[in-house]
Amino acid sequence: MWGIFLESVVIFKNYMGFYENGYLAGIYLFALLYLWLTEKNKQRRAVFVYAPTLLLVMFFCPLFRKAFVRILDDSETYYRLLWLLQMSLVSAYGIIRLCGRHRRIGLAVMCVAIAACGNYVYDSEYITRAENAYHLPQEAIDIVDLIEPEEGRITVLVPADLIYYVRQYSTNIELPYGREMLVSRWDYYHAMYEAMEKAEVIETESFTELTRTYPCSYVVLKEDRKTEEPLTEYGFILYDRVGEYLIYKDTKTAD
Amino acid sequence: MLHILGLLFWLVVIPLCIGLIPANFISADKRNPGFVMLAGYFVMWAVFEVTTIPMVLFVKYDNFKVASVCFTVISILCAITGLGLMFRNRKRQGPSLFLGSLDTEGQRYDTSVRSVARVVGHVRTMSPAERIEWLLFFALLGFQLYKAAAYASFDGDDAYYVVESLIAQQADVMYRILPYTGRPTDLDVRHVLAVFPMWIAYVASKSGIHATIVSHLVIPLVIIPLGYLIHYEIGKALFCEGVLRRSAGDADDILHKENLPIFMILMGLFQIFGNVSIYTNETFFLTRTWQGKAVAGSLVIPALFWMFLWIYDNAAGNHPEGSGHKRHADAGLWILFVCVNMTAGICSSIAVFLVCVLMALTALCLAVVRRDYKVIIKMGAVCIPNVIYMAIYVMISSGYLLK
Repeated sequence: MWGIFLESVVIFKNYMGFYENGYLAGIYLFALLYLWLTEKNKQRRAVFVYAPTLLLVMFFCPLFRKAFVRILDDSETYYRLLWLLQMSLVSAYGIIRLCGRHRRIGLAVMCVAIAACGNYVYDSEYITRAENAYHLPQEAIDIVDLIEPEEGRITVLVPADLIYYVRQYSTNIELPYGREMLVSRWDYYHAMYEAMEKAEVIETESFTELTRTYPCSYVVLKEDRKTEEPLTEYGFILYDRVGEYLIYKDTKTAD
Repeated sequence: MLHILGLLFWLVVIPLCIGLIPANFISADKRNPGFVMLAGYFVMWAVFEVTTIPMVLFVKYDNFKVASVCFTVISILCAITGLGLMFRNRKRQGPSLFLGSLDTEGQRYDTSVRSVARVVGHVRTMSPAERIEWLLFFALLGFQLYKAAAYASFDGDDAYYVVESLIAQQADVMYRILPYTGRPTDLDVRHVLAVFPMWIAYVASKSGIHATIVSHLVIPLVIIPLGYLIHYEIGKALFCEGVLRRSAGDADDILHKENLPIFMILMGLFQIFGNVSIYTNETFFLTRTWQGKAVAGSLVIPALFWMFLWIYDNAAGNHPEGSGHKRHADAGLWILFVCVNMTAGICSSIAVFLVCVLMALTALCLAVVRRDYKVIIKMGAVCIPNVIYMAIYVMISSGYLLK
């Protein structure tokens, strides 16, 4: 039970960003405490004070965590329970109540405090300027446009950094393996993935044999990907090039 | 051009018309276009849930096509019903369903958009500081919308959710093809009941726009304003609805209309700076807006707070307990409450559980503070669709429903 409790503490700290100097939780806990002391409206106390406090108690309760995992068969999403706190909402309400008549000074102070304690979302490494209306890398779109058949579907082997995007653009492109191979904690095994991504140098003969079992009409490789022998010696032709990607067409399987 | 018209029809006109149905069953002083729009979306999503899930479970081929036809018919019928109620109301010279009634008492502070002239009049009555605050808020909102449209946010889950939408649009199939690879697959209980990607596919199909563009570009431009609309309604319930009370002697500083723009600015800032980890609902709201779980965290859960305040906050109602008028006024709110709960189901299966936890905790706290244990029964009744949903989930996962 103690171990489960400690796990919940770690989840809480990760959620609140304590390890990355995010202190918005401090503002929330302060606002919650302030509302505990000052909110007189019974209904609002129930919604903004009692229910969140009970929820926090439940969150750290090992029995509740066990029940959550048992019912939903999922321990990775336990943090979503903290969404129910609606920290922004309670914080904003508590702050405004605290500021009372000094709303404008309060607003200025809180703007600075939120910016200082929070983390600017658009600084995220995952956010980049969109290259097109799809919000997908243009290279992925260009590659699919080159190889997509007019009718039917084909299987294509692509490097890991294109796997997320290819089927977001066209479902006529099938893949031997997908994103499930890229999430290490899911711990899947796939022979094609091992041959394509794990091998330091691609063993061309066994690699091409594997690609033909699907069969892959095209193989896309990064130009710096090393192969024991060129694919062109095993029935592939260099079909085209898009940016740093080389597109090989298998003459034995492609239409 | 036709694409834009299609989007406007399915994302603005239809929700507004459907929203007139619950608007007919709430008191006139609560009606405003924002309420109608939000109510329309929640009712529409609830309808989408009940029409789509059976198709996912029991129709194997072209199930998206069948679900689309059913949903189109039902949503258009609902929209016509809403319009019918509006015209009936107009014929009876009752207060408008869309714009609400003009206050005759003149005591209640009103932030509702009753008419263009009224809005202009309202803006004129604002102090310069209040106007600047609203401008600041709209600048924050505009900034977030610009970032949503001009910047791409990478998330690995898109390889599942966005591709599910695209498969439905391009192959007319729901949840029978593995999005990661394109191979046929069995129904995955974790995802099949959460049909939000199918709603995106539906909008994409009806507008003729690629589902990935709809997901990444169009949906954020809809969901982000809807999120703030909910916060606006919450802010109104918190800071503006109590002026009647204040005038009656409650000198609480919190009940001041000038707190509303401040509240909205703070909410905007919390969203922008709420990225203290990748797990917060604020991060989901701005970086994964098109995913059902983000909608659950940033629309459905706040909407429940809105409902709690509207139904149970003393300040929110001014009709005598037990009067016929109050019962009529409450009906629309309870319909909406049920639909908000049902919307959790289309967002994610876990959201249904979360919503039930929130409802149970809040019902318990409200029952204790009000010394009214009927609250638990009423809010329990609202959760019935969630219980049915969870029962279906358990039946599927244990192999009783689909073999």
